[in-house]
Amino acid sequence: MDQAVQINKDVEIVAYYFKNQARRLRCFPKRMEYDGKRVVFTETGLVHPTKQGQRTIHVFDMTDGAADYRLEFDAQELTWKLIAITDMNYAPISTQFAPAA
Amino acid sequence: MPRYLPNLHLQLNPEQPQILHIDLNSCFATVEQQARPLLRDRPLGVTNRLTKNACVVAASYEAKALGVKVGMTFSQAKLVAPDLIMIETDPPKYHYVYKKLIGIMKSYSPNIGMKSIDEGVIDFHGTRLNINNRPLTVIGQEIKQRLRDEVGPWMKCNIGIAPNRFLAKTAASLHKPNGLDVITHKNLRRTLSTMELTDLTGIAERNQARLNAAGIYTPLQFLDAPPELLVRQVFKSICGEDWYKRLRGWETDDVEHDVKTVGRQFVLDEWQPTEESLRARLSYLCETTALKLRYKNRAAYGVQVYVRYASGDYWHERKMFKTPVFSGADVFRRATLLFNRRPHYDYEREMGISCYGLISSNQNQVSLLEDVNREVWLSEAMDTINAQYGEFTISYASSLASKGLIKQKIPFGSTRYFELLCNRA
Repeated sequence: MDQAVQINKDVEIVAYYFKNQARRLRCFPKRMEYDGKRVVFTETGLVHPTKQGQRTIHVFDMTDGAADYRLEFDAQELTWKLIAITDMNYAPISTQFAPAA
Repeated sequence: MPRYLPNLHLQLNPEQPQILHIDLNSCFATVEQQARPLLRDRPLGVTNRLTKNACVVAASYEAKALGVKVGMTFSQAKLVAPDLIMIETDPPKYHYVYKKLIGIMKSYSPNIGMKSIDEGVIDFHGTRLNINNRPLTVIGQEIKQRLRDEVGPWMKCNIGIAPNRFLAKTAASLHKPNGLDVITHKNLRRTLSTMELTDLTGIAERNQARLNAAGIYTPLQFLDAPPELLVRQVFKSICGEDWYKRLRGWETDDVEHDVKTVGRQFVLDEWQPTEESLRARLSYLCETTALKLRYKNRAAYGVQVYVRYASGDYWHERKMFKTPVFSGADVFRRATLLFNRRPHYDYEREMGISCYGLISSNQNQVSLLEDVNREVWLSEAMDTINAQYGEFTISYASSLASKGLIKQKIPFGSTRYFELLCNRA
């Protein structure tokens, strides 16, 4: 079972910006301050845009090696939001879905 | 007996392969593993709903190695792979990869087609002289690399190259994952000799039985079967001639099918649904069906409603009306007329609505009747507001109770409403 914990809170992000081969600016969120803790991201999984009406939201799936983080960047308001955290230690399936013995 | 008598005796198509088929391996599972690095190398299943009876719509290769198959329910999958991780589908991610794949394909040829959300075909005819003069195997490897560069390093795809679409798809399924195979007239017989009848796309249990009844047990026997036998005895239609050509590398599948019906269905979320909640679900289904109609710029004369009961019984009713519909309120009104006639002998488990008898919409034409114009203007105003602020910002009060409960899921097969779906996700 997916063990994602929904957070849905604004967070502070320090991001690096690079130009890639196509000379487009690419963003890499490096550090996040959340709940008094500092998370240093090590890898980007996937960055994809979504639409909310006419507003574009960029979704960043990041990892720090111990957990997966889902971040959203609002391209209009220029704000970052932490959507969910999934811990590395995926818990076993809950008993309600376990097959009958 | 069909009157059509083919006089066909074709050789294998000797043309150099010009069709390249791309198939993303376990697409949804691979995309999820790409997005969430901690899921890599783990058995992963993707499902539309996290309940024990929901089925696995995609399984990672690690899960497949443990015996998990697409179509298994969650409970069955957990029996064969206790460590399986199940997650829900996330359509915007797949849409992003789908668009990236289209972008890559379009950079080689204008003649491309998406067979489904994770499969595409590039037709290189007419582009080989000046643009793509490298061997197609080199281009195939380049596409694999570009997919890794532009989406992520975990992305893998199978590529098949052949003279027609059917053989290209067959080639793409030979070595999974991450294979690249070519089928030409020179190795066709050798390739088919390693396959079973049901390995061929389009040959499942029933077609296999038809072929077996005519004494055809292997793909090679199928290839050697005369066209008269296939047309008159096996398929009893022009399909036999299509198979005869298809197996020999001649193109028969380069056709676009028009939209014939538009609809939605929903497996109910309550075991004992009340009349009120049923009508709220029906209203929502009608509204989304009407949205699809308008998205395709169509209106429909016919409406069909079906219900499946807890006992397994099925009821449906359909009617052609005198005037076409395109607005959610109109579709709901007509569907309710049919829905009220359903028998009440058990609890409902599943319900659906579809519109047929489609015509091009004449919404732009102002009617003499004021009521019709108001309906058009109301639909246009609602669509504009929803396009600006997100789908279902404004909707009919009757469907309000279903908002958030009926979720749009990923489409299989056709991707005609994919843009619409992703705007709403």
